[in-house]
Amino acid sequence: MSLIEIKDLHKKYKENVVLDGINLSIEQGNVIGIIGPSGTGKSTLLRCLNQLEIPEKGTISINGKEINLSSRKNKKEILALRQNTGMVFQQFNLFERKTALENVEEGLIVVQKKSKEEARRIALEELKRVGMLNWANHYPRHLSGGQQQRVAIARALAMRPQLLLLDEPTSALDPEMVGEVLDVIKKIAAEGFTMLLVSHEMAFVRNVSNRVIFIDKGVVVEDGTPKQVFSNPQNERTKEFLAKMYMLEVEPEYII
Amino acid sequence: MAKLFDFEQVFTNIPELLKYLPITLELALLATFIGLVLGLLLAIVKMKQIPVLKQIAALFVSIVRGTPVLVQLYIVYFGVPMFFKYLNTKYGTHLAVAEIPGFVYAVLALGLNSSAFSSEMIRSALMSVSKGQLEAANALGMTYGQALRRIIIPEAMTVALPTIGNSLISAIKGTSLAFTCAVVEITAQGKIIGGRNYRYFEVYCSLAIIYWLVTVVIEQILKAVEKKMAIPEQVESYIEQKDEK
Repeated sequence: MSLIEIKDLHKKYKENVVLDGINLSIEQGNVIGIIGPSGTGKSTLLRCLNQLEIPEKGTISINGKEINLSSRKNKKEILALRQNTGMVFQQFNLFERKTALENVEEGLIVVQKKSKEEARRIALEELKRVGMLNWANHYPRHLSGGQQQRVAIARALAMRPQLLLLDEPTSALDPEMVGEVLDVIKKIAAEGFTMLLVSHEMAFVRNVSNRVIFIDKGVVVEDGTPKQVFSNPQNERTKEFLAKMYMLEVEPEYII
Repeated sequence: MAKLFDFEQVFTNIPELLKYLPITLELALLATFIGLVLGLLLAIVKMKQIPVLKQIAALFVSIVRGTPVLVQLYIVYFGVPMFFKYLNTKYGTHLAVAEIPGFVYAVLALGLNSSAFSSEMIRSALMSVSKGQLEAANALGMTYGQALRRIIIPEAMTVALPTIGNSLISAIKGTSLAFTCAVVEITAQGKIIGGRNYRYFEVYCSLAIIYWLVTVVIEQILKAVEKKMAIPEQVESYIEQKDEK
């Protein structure tokens, strides 16, 4: 049985249909790269999965427990869902008035009710994992974009989510900082975290994912291994998109 | 002939007036506190667009901002006892209206006044906190209340601090009207002294000096608090303790 099952997800803004029936089953350890043209609902898909956006219709089941995503009624369910999913934002969204360490501790203390000592231990461990241990006392404003994003990844990982959602984690970064964040993502992918990664770094998606889906006009049109999707896409729209991105049959330019 | 202006009096009045400074400060601090708490509620009602409450809040703010403090003090001082008396006669209750000290009415009226002015400033401070931080808190599984308490309000506080100082200062000056509610604070005591020796002008000068000095002290305290709350420019790097296992 798959770890997470997303069924029939629909979302529209007024008349603009963004997600038009997304179905996806995610296995433990899947690193799924989500690619597709701008405005096809890749980010919206992630944001619906932890109810930062409320879809019109759709369910998610985690460990066999089904949650209706279109209702905001059941506060407990939402909180449980959010604790099972971790989110890394394009704009990092670190807490400005907290140090890197406090940023990572926050959810552990407030949401998971861990003791101060334990939260600190876990937080330091996670900061070490993303290579930010020496910066534990620094505030976000002292850090570069890439460093902030690494702290944000540590903050999400500290909660031990079943599913990590990465929403264009490198899009807001200066080019020379993209590498350090991608290194961290590659490292945690190798450690077996289950992730959904929305990214425009095609070469990286190809390199890091073990499954790639292509979304266009709110539906999944291509789903397969990176090799299948990038080298031998079946759908016309995928071919067109990849040709535009100069990715069809091109060796990855990003190598770690 | 007596002196036209008794310079010495201006200073000899001060010790007697200072006895009532605690009352002035208590009034101002309590009123500002009520103003901040109620102002926060008003701001949240407006931000979250809660139906019905939103309209009531808007009406309240409009009325309070559109009437003088002095009139508000009169209305609270005379209106609240009348309301209790009405309740007493209608429901046969025995609410002891006469035992409520004027101080309570003064704090209530000044607090309500302060809340109307604070609400907009609190709202803009809350809105200055980036929406992403709230989303991040939500994504971690924090409730709106937790996010408000732990993330949004602490950051908004630093933005609002200078204006909070302003409302504290205007509350201090507002307390000079509390005599309306039969509260003797420094201005009231000044009037009493003036009535005793007809040296009103001297005593008003003494009051001006006291108010001004108090305000200067508050400004300095706020500056120090602001400095303390600011995120430091530089911090030491964290050094991992190898022996800590």
